Amino acid sequence: MGYKASEQDLIAYLYGELEGIEKESMEQYLREHAEAREELEKLRQVRTTLSHVQDKEVIAPPIFLGDTGQRFFGSIPYFKTIVSIAASLLIVLMAAKLSGLQVRFADRQMVISFSGGDQIKAIEDKTPVPSITSAEVNELIHSALDENNQALKTSWTETQIKLDASITNNLAANSARIDNLVRESSAASQEQIRQFVAGMQAENMQLVKNYFQLSSNEQKEYVESLLVDFAKYLQQQRNDDLQVVQTQLKSLQQNTDVLKQETEQILTSIISTVGNSTSIGVKN
Amino acid sequence: MMHADSLISRAKDGDQNAQGKVVQLWYKRIYNFSYKFFLDHDLAMEVSQKTFISMCKNLTSLQDNARFKSWLYKIAVNYCREEARKKKTSRSLSFDVVWNRDAEDSPQWESTSQRFDNPERQLQHQELSEVLQEALLELNDEQREVVIMKEYEGLKFREIAEVLNISENTVKSRMYYGLDGLRKILEKKNINKETIGYGI
Repeated sequence: MGYKASEQDLIAYLYGELEGIEKESMEQYLREHAEAREELEKLRQVRTTLSHVQDKEVIAPPIFLGDTGQRFFGSIPYFKTIVSIAASLLIVLMAAKLSGLQVRFADRQMVISFSGGDQIKAIEDKTPVPSITSAEVNELIHSALDENNQALKTSWTETQIKLDASITNNLAANSARIDNLVRESSAASQEQIRQFVAGMQAENMQLVKNYFQLSSNEQKEYVESLLVDFAKYLQQQRNDDLQVVQTQLKSLQQNTDVLKQETEQILTSIISTVGNSTSIGVKN
Repeated sequence: MMHADSLISRAKDGDQNAQGKVVQLWYKRIYNFSYKFFLDHDLAMEVSQKTFISMCKNLTSLQDNARFKSWLYKIAVNYCREEARKKKTSRSLSFDVVWNRDAEDSPQWESTSQRFDNPERQLQHQELSEVLQEALLELNDEQREVVIMKEYEGLKFREIAEVLNISENTVKSRMYYGLDGLRKILEKKNINKETIGYGI
């Protein structure tokens, strides 16, 4: 006792890969456990179903391999990459050599030059070092500032004078021009307004006249047509009423006729029944 | 399928004739393994060719001739995984999906060994085979490769463990869950003893 079949054992047994004691234990276990037998049967059925898969027929294509002896360097991984990097470095170095590229770092400055580094250095060496005291510098600055201020002041006064003159000139010229313009316009406008108002009044009068003329004509026509329509309507209504009265009279007449006939029939029937009963009574 | 040790020895020594014979012997098996893995002719051909090119190149590194089978399947499995990775990354539509090759090719029974069988019955066999392979494709890669190697390629659990570089118990576990998964898939597709018996 104590043996419990695992999934692995079950699968191994299913494929006949259990041997010796393991196989016997499994068989014993299966005999004792119905659910394990059922499980095994299910798996067996799946296997049976899977056995219906057919293999595909295929013809092996010829496989050619190149001469394996020739693949020394080319087959080394990254060989091409390394070689190309090396080649580009070589090209850069060659170009630098040919163009006389020089890179130096000295006295906290980096110098990159194409065969001209010495000249720069020479120029740098020749530049004289100025020796002025701070007082002299201050004096120089002050004098320069004074000169500058003086020049600015003179230019300001000049420009101000010019501006004032031009403004007064402009004002005088403009005011004269504006006065003339205003006078002309006022003179012209009074005359024009009178003419315009007169024209407007005439036009308005004409318009109002036309309008009244037209509207009175239209109203007349409209009232006439309205009267005619109303007359027609009345005539029609009278005809309709007459027809209605006529038909009602006819129906009344018919009704009375029918009533007359019915009373006649009733009377005859009463008379005949009375006659019969009296004759029967007589007979009896 | 058996392979002669001497043939492999000669192939290892660089005898191209022997190498050709090994390819002829094993091509169908590797092709069918890859085909069941992908259910795609082109991918199966690709994997098979790569496998045998690699085999010919690296045969000298095989130390034990008795392990040739698992060694060969190891190469094939690696190429299958590589192609599966490529397939997952590239979302291009295979031409075979657009062009129904089966509809234009001559029927399968003309080229199979059962060519003298009843054509109708043969067609039913073929249809069932395809449905079962589609069911197989629904398993995950790990379970599928174990099921194919065990069920169709007849490798021992020890050999499969060697191919996949995992323990024998893991192989058996994958096999168990693979078969169980297939049972459920087949139930869903309503394929059982009765329907197969009726159809065939």
